[in-house]
Amino acid sequence: MQPDKFYYDNKIVRNFGIATVIWGIIGMLVGLIVAIQLYKPEMNMHNQYTTFGRVRPLHTNAVIFAFVGNAIFMGIYYSLQRLMKARMFSDVLSKIHFWGWQLIIVSAVITLPLGLTTSHEYAELEWPIDILITIVWVVFGINMFGTIIKRRERHIYVAVWFYIATFVTIAVLHIVNSVEIPVSFFKSYMVFAGVQDALVQWWYGHNAVAFFLTTPYLGMMYYFLPKMANRPIYSYKLSILHFWALIFIYIWAGPHHLLYTTLPGWAQSLGVVFSVMLIAPSWGGMINGLLTLRGAWDKVRDDVTLKFMVVGLTAYGMATFEGPMLSLKQVNAIGHFTDWIIAHVHVGALGWNGFLTFAILYWLVPRIYKTELYSKKMASFHFWIGTLGILFYAIPMYWAGFTQGLMLKEFTPEGILKYPSFLETTMRILPMHVMRSVGGALYLTGVIVMAYNLYKTAVQGKLVANEAAEAMPLPKLNPEAGTERWHRRLERKPIWFLIASLIVILIGTFVELMPTLTISSNIPTIASVKPYTPLELQGRDIYIREGCVNCHSQTVRPFRSETERYGEYSKAGEFVYDHPFLWGSKRTGPDLQREGGKYGNSWHYNHLMDPRLMSPGSIMPNYDWLITQKLDTTSTAAKIRAMQKLGVPYPAGYDKIANQDLDKQAKGISADLAKDHIKVKSNKEIVAIIAYLQRLGTDIKAGKTANN
Amino acid sequence: MFRQFTEHIQGNQVYLLFSLFIFLVFFIVVTLLLFRLRKQHVDYMSDIPLQDCTEENINLLEP
Repeated sequence: MQPDKFYYDNKIVRNFGIATVIWGIIGMLVGLIVAIQLYKPEMNMHNQYTTFGRVRPLHTNAVIFAFVGNAIFMGIYYSLQRLMKARMFSDVLSKIHFWGWQLIIVSAVITLPLGLTTSHEYAELEWPIDILITIVWVVFGINMFGTIIKRRERHIYVAVWFYIATFVTIAVLHIVNSVEIPVSFFKSYMVFAGVQDALVQWWYGHNAVAFFLTTPYLGMMYYFLPKMANRPIYSYKLSILHFWALIFIYIWAGPHHLLYTTLPGWAQSLGVVFSVMLIAPSWGGMINGLLTLRGAWDKVRDDVTLKFMVVGLTAYGMATFEGPMLSLKQVNAIGHFTDWIIAHVHVGALGWNGFLTFAILYWLVPRIYKTELYSKKMASFHFWIGTLGILFYAIPMYWAGFTQGLMLKEFTPEGILKYPSFLETTMRILPMHVMRSVGGALYLTGVIVMAYNLYKTAVQGKLVANEAAEAMPLPKLNPEAGTERWHRRLERKPIWFLIASLIVILIGTFVELMPTLTISSNIPTIASVKPYTPLELQGRDIYIREGCVNCHSQTVRPFRSETERYGEYSKAGEFVYDHPFLWGSKRTGPDLQREGGKYGNSWHYNHLMDPRLMSPGSIMPNYDWLITQKLDTTSTAAKIRAMQKLGVPYPAGYDKIANQDLDKQAKGISADLAKDHIKVKSNKEIVAIIAYLQRLGTDIKAGKTANN
Repeated sequence: MFRQFTEHIQGNQVYLLFSLFIFLVFFIVVTLLLFRLRKQHVDYMSDIPLQDCTEENINLLEP
């Protein structure tokens, strides 16, 4: 039999590589800007499109989906072809995938600063872009499976299993978390509300970390590390065991993002137990990676790619040790909502994702350009400045997290809060925020140096767009194949492999999500909780548009330190009309669940105009455009109808008269402000958001008054 | 430590025990399958990434 001659497509790998570097620099630069805004709010240039609330999601989306996303596709398109001994299934699909993905990113860059957001973290993009993501993901899937099917290597190496698990799980996560009902072309409401919405979102959010930031990178590690070290992986058996255990366990751990909230206790407990167990398969991967270098540590000294790999794997080990620790309720009570979590995710993002990406770029670019790396010195400089950057980023954030977490919980011997003003704790940690931005700047500097180094490497070489290769075609299986071992058989049946992975991730999904989504007793209702008035609903959408949820939570945990500070702890029944939920995940400012009635309307007016008038030293940006911008009431009817479809009990035909109620309530607030000599027309956005803020958490109080 | 933890679990323990049981069964099945893998096959699988089939590495091709 003659070997087949064929060509690997390196051009698509190169394109994804360029996109990785460009979006990496942009995403990290945006990150640096938002980091500076946290101590210099005027860095938003007094512009609504660049305020923290709108730009922070741009940073997270850019680094996760643009930087890491393109890096994943670069790594997969390079390794999959070689592991399957076949060119990608279709050059056309590769191109559609590449340009489609860039289109999604550009859409995010445009829509997020405009305030078009679902407010679901890491899934902020509105419904038309969600559909585009689905299409591009399917294109990627067809291209990947097409390549696997026309392969010339019977058995599928472990890296490809990770790619398959990534593909199938991200598809499931994206679809379930994007079930929303469109109100207009760029506005939708989540189908689930309150606790249910929160559970779906954090099942998604946690597993986006698992199956976008972890499994594809483990797959890439299993291909590129043996290539870089020129030796096989330490234990193939361990890779099988940790693959199945990892994808089984990860899917259950989402509720650790919702500890001490109103999520049913059993779901929280499930999240904790599986999070603790997660350390085993995670460390299985790290150990397998590090031990691959046994006997080759001398290479680590000279080879910059291996240096990046070792620090990347170590960062993965640290982050996956810390994750389970943070899931323990006692630790979570202090760490959650603070900068500790920011430190935790950045050890993973900068160390694991960033450094593995850099290692692969340094290894891969000279190979596809058939040349040597332009400057090893520059790469070494990048390694050291990057490592320093991570340290200067993470250490101040840990410090800030512990400091603020403990300050917020501290009582005086007399039993009152030692730091009753939230702002006091914020101001205490500002120096840490300054240091953090220095760390980020160091890291970004390294990436810019890398970009220059890779550019010079590319210029001195020539791209081998189509790399020649030879392999024997797959012979037909002989009848003895029937006696093969189970896993060996699975390794050559990609579709069965996909189904097996799907079943494994669906087990946890069903046990965890179904009871909360289907059994109504899990969400006890409260009679006094009523739907939002049309004005409050519009105000809530402005709250969503401005990304207030990025700094303010809306869930009071049942701790004395929180009930003293904010008021009564949250109940599940309070959120039944919250499409989407707005509990948040970080308290850069205080919780707002019990904000209603705490201050007068004029306080809110002045505070939104310039927060420093009411809270000297505040780091919240001015929202003065809310005073001049007119509220768009043309959308009220459509919004009410959408809410009715979701089961919010507005009376039939209310959509037609909703704006009358809206006007009446707005005029009331405007008249109240006039008493304090604030002249503002009732049709301005600020009136709506004040109405919403004044409603927050008041239903329970109303119920109590009625009962008395 | 473990006892303290189990005593503090809130809500329906059936979910928890059921979930852990499923995982245990799953884990044991995968482990048993691993023990049955032949060494020859394991060596073959771990060697796959080192064979590129490009012109430089053509001598690594299988016969």
